[in-house]
Amino acid sequence: MDTKEKLKQILVKDLNLEEVTPEEISNSAPLFGEGLGLDSLDAVELVVIVQKHFGVEIKDMEEGRKAFQSVDSLAAYIEARTAA
Amino acid sequence: MTRLVVKGIGVAGAFGTGVESFQSALAEGRATVGSVEVATGEGVVTVPAYRADTAALEEFVPKRALRRVDNYSKLALLGSYLALKDAGMLGADLGRLGLVIASGYGATATTYAFLDSLISGGDTCASPTHFANSVHNAAAANVAITLGIRGPSLTVSQFDMSVPSALVSARQWLAEGRVDAVLFGAVDEVSELVAYLQHRRYGPRHVAAMAPFDAGTESSIIGEGAAFLVLTRDDGGTAYCGIDSVETGNVFGGGLSLPDDALMLLGADGRKELGRRYLDTVAAGATAACYTPIYGSMPAAAAFDLAAAALALKNGQAFASPAGPGPFAPDSAGVSRICSLRLAGPSEYATVLMSKL
Repeated sequence: MDTKEKLKQILVKDLNLEEVTPEEISNSAPLFGEGLGLDSLDAVELVVIVQKHFGVEIKDMEEGRKAFQSVDSLAAYIEARTAA
Repeated sequence: MTRLVVKGIGVAGAFGTGVESFQSALAEGRATVGSVEVATGEGVVTVPAYRADTAALEEFVPKRALRRVDNYSKLALLGSYLALKDAGMLGADLGRLGLVIASGYGATATTYAFLDSLISGGDTCASPTHFANSVHNAAAANVAITLGIRGPSLTVSQFDMSVPSALVSARQWLAEGRVDAVLFGAVDEVSELVAYLQHRRYGPRHVAAMAPFDAGTESSIIGEGAAFLVLTRDDGGTAYCGIDSVETGNVFGGGLSLPDDALMLLGADGRKELGRRYLDTVAAGATAACYTPIYGSMPAAAAFDLAAAALALKNGQAFASPAGPGPFAPDSAGVSRICSLRLAGPSEYATVLMSKL
């Protein structure tokens, strides 16, 4: 399973998004606001999820803000830090 | 003391959801005992348990709004909505409504899920959502936020004395005029932790039913649910019943005197260590009943006793004890006063005296 698919499954399960399936999440849609509808509390949970499931720490708020734009951007952030 | 009245009742438990289900279960003496599976050192064991369903909450709150709310808070939310609906207060201005919630155990499932995540992933991988839901007053916070309650909010946790202690505070708020009404309730949940503790205390057990008047036998079955009441000062309007007094104490600090003209509603719940105290405290032959086999053994059961008493007083007729009368006399002449008795530990007690309006 690639990073994006794994990420979408984790988002649905760990954020308890019962009204959406992993397949319905667009890779390019915004995670917050109008897209998937996540909020600031989810952002804190996302930091924990990324570290717990991928071993990647998000310490810098600016980096996190860019990474949390979409599934595409978050997967790219994770892959860039796990490729080495 | 200021006389209170019960304006609304909201209950959810193994008997179902709402006053009608509760009243039917009490009238029929019907109990639905389920189970919970728990991992132990000897493998997975099945522990009997009264389980509650919160699916009916979707009638009041969109599912998406509940995605960060755990089972413990959902139970409290369901009880709250049902009680306010029963009192005709859903959609009303709740600015002068206080909120008091009692819980003996708190959110044990979430608390231990949080602790498990700390152990397995370290403190940086502990879920913030789990932490927020793990504190005892998470239920009160979720209820107040979701319903828009802007009055004072209090959570009381004193194990078996949680409900009567919380009722003392609710009464005080109304007596002071601090609020016009109190949404008062209790909630406890069955979790793997509670089941594990039950298994460790009593070992493999296969009791089919609770026998609270059999003091020589351990027959408790763990339960979960929420029982909420809308309380106001007695304004002469329609209500289920009155609450005339609430007393908590310790027999070492003075004698416990019980009324001789009231039906005694006993909180005995099959725990062997407390069963003997109930039989020693209430004289054999006294008019008494016990309804715990309808909802199970849990600290919040004391609030179910109050809800059952309110229904009996409104009907003017007590429900028969589901486990039989034991050494006591059943209510036969119609009931106008009920004294709910709860005992805890070797010496604590609480009485709530309620009467027909």
